[in-house]
Amino acid sequence: MAKGVLDESGLTPQSVQMTIVAQDPDVLRDGRILTASVRVPAQHLDPGPASARFWVIDYDASTGQLREPAMLTVVGSDGRPTDRFEGISDRDILRDRAFHAQNVYAIAARTLAAFESALGRRLPWGFDGHQLHVVPHAFAEANAYYSDDDQALLFGYFTAADEQILTCLSHDVVAHETAHAVLDGLRHRFLEPSLPDQAAFHEALADVVALLSVFSISAVLEHALGEPDAEGRIDAAVAAPEAVRNSLPLVLGEQMGGALNLGRGGLRRSAGLAPPPDWRTLPAWEECHQRGEVLASAVLDTLVGLWTERLVPLIRDGRLDRDRAAEEGAKSADHLLRMCLRGIDYLPPVDFEFEDFVAAVLLADTVLAPDDDHGYRSTLRGCFERMGVGLPPADRLVDLARAPDAPVYHGLNFAAMRTDSDEVFRFIWENAEWLDVDRRYHLNVESVRPSTRTGPDGLVLTEAVADYVQTLEVTAAELVELASGWAAEAGDDAAVTLNPLVAPETPVQLLGGGTLVFDQFGRAKYHIRKPLADWRRQTERLDYLARTGTFDSGRRVGFSTGAPRGQRFAALHEPTYAGEDW
Amino acid sequence: MAPRKPRPEHIAVRMYQVGFGDCFLLSVRYPKPLADGRAERHVLIDFGSTHSPLSHKVDMADIAEQIADDCGGRLDVMVVTHRHKDHLSGFANDEAAATVDSLRPGLIVRPWTETPDLHADAAAPVGAASRRLLTGLSEGHAFAGQLAAAIGDKGGGLRDRVRKLADEQLKNAEAIARLDMWAEQADSEYLHAGMASKMEDVVPGMSVEVLGPPTVEQHPDVVNARARNPEYWMLYQGFVASGLPNATLDPDDHDPDGGADPELAGATEEEAFAAGTATLERDIPAGPARWLATRLRNQQVHSLKRIVRSLDDALNNTSLILALTIGHKRLLFPGDGQIENWRYTLDRLPKDKALGKRLRSVDLYKVGHHGSRNATPRSLLDLWGDDHRPASLLSTRTDAHGDSEATAVPRATLVSALKERTDFHSTEGLAKGATVVLETDVAAGERFSRV
Repeated sequence: MAKGVLDESGLTPQSVQMTIVAQDPDVLRDGRILTASVRVPAQHLDPGPASARFWVIDYDASTGQLREPAMLTVVGSDGRPTDRFEGISDRDILRDRAFHAQNVYAIAARTLAAFESALGRRLPWGFDGHQLHVVPHAFAEANAYYSDDDQALLFGYFTAADEQILTCLSHDVVAHETAHAVLDGLRHRFLEPSLPDQAAFHEALADVVALLSVFSISAVLEHALGEPDAEGRIDAAVAAPEAVRNSLPLVLGEQMGGALNLGRGGLRRSAGLAPPPDWRTLPAWEECHQRGEVLASAVLDTLVGLWTERLVPLIRDGRLDRDRAAEEGAKSADHLLRMCLRGIDYLPPVDFEFEDFVAAVLLADTVLAPDDDHGYRSTLRGCFERMGVGLPPADRLVDLARAPDAPVYHGLNFAAMRTDSDEVFRFIWENAEWLDVDRRYHLNVESVRPSTRTGPDGLVLTEAVADYVQTLEVTAAELVELASGWAAEAGDDAAVTLNPLVAPETPVQLLGGGTLVFDQFGRAKYHIRKPLADWRRQTERLDYLARTGTFDSGRRVGFSTGAPRGQRFAALHEPTYAGEDW
Repeated sequence: MAPRKPRPEHIAVRMYQVGFGDCFLLSVRYPKPLADGRAERHVLIDFGSTHSPLSHKVDMADIAEQIADDCGGRLDVMVVTHRHKDHLSGFANDEAAATVDSLRPGLIVRPWTETPDLHADAAAPVGAASRRLLTGLSEGHAFAGQLAAAIGDKGGGLRDRVRKLADEQLKNAEAIARLDMWAEQADSEYLHAGMASKMEDVVPGMSVEVLGPPTVEQHPDVVNARARNPEYWMLYQGFVASGLPNATLDPDDHDPDGGADPELAGATEEEAFAAGTATLERDIPAGPARWLATRLRNQQVHSLKRIVRSLDDALNNTSLILALTIGHKRLLFPGDGQIENWRYTLDRLPKDKALGKRLRSVDLYKVGHHGSRNATPRSLLDLWGDDHRPASLLSTRTDAHGDSEATAVPRATLVSALKERTDFHSTEGLAKGATVVLETDVAAGERFSRV
């Protein structure tokens, strides 16, 4: 008998359920490690598991052992995929390497799915390849990091206080490292040496993704809110802003951080952070993790605001339904995560500054949902302003639809402009004056990607997002001369000087660029700019790189950070006493 | 009426050219002879080197002869800030040790971590946690020795840098045995932060403030929890014993990471990895796993380097940090103490105004850890500037340590700041047999000047 359209046994599932560690093995519920069953996009899985986007390889470089690839796909009696680790024991969580493979795979896949869902398209990796290797027991070290050179997420293991700690079992660590990899695919130039906000953004976004991913699991929130009474209700005080700020899910890396940071509780505690008003000028706040906490804290404060606002109508007689409260928290986290991720498309491709993020998130949300009925955008903007982060200057994010003149589209193919970098280059070339782009400097269109998103009103928004980058290689002495010229052109007579650590003959690489957003008809909508000839930004960047000794092995500045191959993120995760070192 | 304590009138500080290492002689002169008939006292602070200067080979026996001349044949105090080779290798040199022995050092001063036979019931603040640190460090030494032996002297590249770093963590048994012998023959003390020092009796008119190292009970963060955990090091001993690092660090394998940026390296990445696949990885089926395993070899070497460096950091943080006051002059000798060690003092600054005042008025600063990026806290250097410029002494050699700008010793940004805010003197470029000598009278208003 033919299967009907509504016969579910014949449908290919869009997702499968997989058991993961909800936070990390130190977080217990009723004496057992807290786990969660999460939805992971359904794909063909080879042993590993290996999918179209990830390949889990259980190779341990410290022992030289390659373990058997894990087989996750198990078909149940109903013919549908089933989770072989449902109901797994604590002992097996800690010891079963196949479960470790599932844990890292599921969390990484879920994280990528969150980005792709928010941005409305498939996202490439930052390296030349389709599959990201995920190595759950990579080496015996208290570390976990993304290596673009090795196309891999590497998770270490170590012993602390007679306990073996596997970073592959920490949900937020896995999500954090995956977020680095995804962001690298979206903004590869964010790994270039730049202003302190850029490296900080990598850490901040990874922290935000990790924490909001954990927060979006109802089981985690139910556990954090505590046991309800017989009617399923809890004291409303537990869901007050201060209590939420101090709650467990907002502490990143509880187990790993506890072992590394001598029991201070988590690697970093971001919500409720109050940086000093002059944080931008303090050396301690130039360290990327500490600086990133400013951005992460503003986002998390936004979450606290959104969630607690949602709870107000649920409170009766000082109590509220716990499961409902958890559900609202998960929804808030999911909503906020999508807002933040959508903003990435509206970021410049180089020389990121925190103000760019605020503007990007607000713009992306406005485009999709023009009415801010619930005050999400005003809440977010307020939280950032309290951290001293406002909006960028008006000429950095240009609404092209409001430009006094129209651009030239003559000879251009609108359909091609949505996918073809050459066509976008032609558009920029023909409209360089209109876009205020200087043709004298080398320009490359690095990516053109379509994006399709659905707003709350159900209408579909289709755009194309193109990044272009301009580069210029000069000596430090030439930069002073150029910058003086740019300053004069801008009507600024300030003297341009360079850090004395940079010798006049030092080779320097300057970067500029922009992001162009086109509508579904190929018409240019927005231009997010970082002009190459911005002398203030270029000298500020060079001064920062010189001051922090960021020269490459050829004593050049601005070409690379000088980090050895594959080590860009390795060293960053060690605890430091920020601001005291040189 | 009690006799008046002798007051020094003049100080000389000598920094010997030992390349990458430390060797300082503090000489204090009195207006009249003291009870023993001598009108001077001499304090040797460290005596070691791991890399000769670029221009010549250093012989610690020659340095010992110089010291013997400069101290007039008698050493009153010998301070060994910590047990790294570059601070005590000279004592392992037979000829140099014989010369030092002839100087009859009267008091041997070392950090509390060198205390022999630390008893289970030792009084606080050296307690169980501190004893566990010692056990951890001991296991760390064993790991370093195994690793250095496993890598062997195979010349060049990242692996060789790891071997040399491991080699520097070895226990230096011969040097320590000699120090133990002198300590038994004469007098000795093992100091932790806040302790009183016998140096004040040996060098009248000099007061000693021990700023570091704190014990673990005093400051848990002085050494991170991993490094002071014996099981942590035993895990790595196990890996070395399994023979993996030997295979991983096969000398016939091309090392694609010579410390240069990939874009500047001659070979392409694929050429580098194709040059040789270790036997280990040939056992792995051809495909993505073997591709990845070959590349993780590089990651593993960097991981080992970080692990050895954590031991290096731990040992640096056992270093004595001494603030010496002689008349109106303050001298700061922090050995190789890093920020974790300094943190015990820095955390007190907001509440302890007198301490802040003492540090602000330092007249001579021996630059910590040969000018590395994390041994001169910024908040310390920020105390000095326009209205007070101490002299600074840097004993170092460029290119001996660090495989990138970020890890280079000395750190260029620090040297630049020292030149800006202090009267800066370095052994870089100093000829064989030459010495940097700074002298001053102890009266207020006088400054150290180079002779």
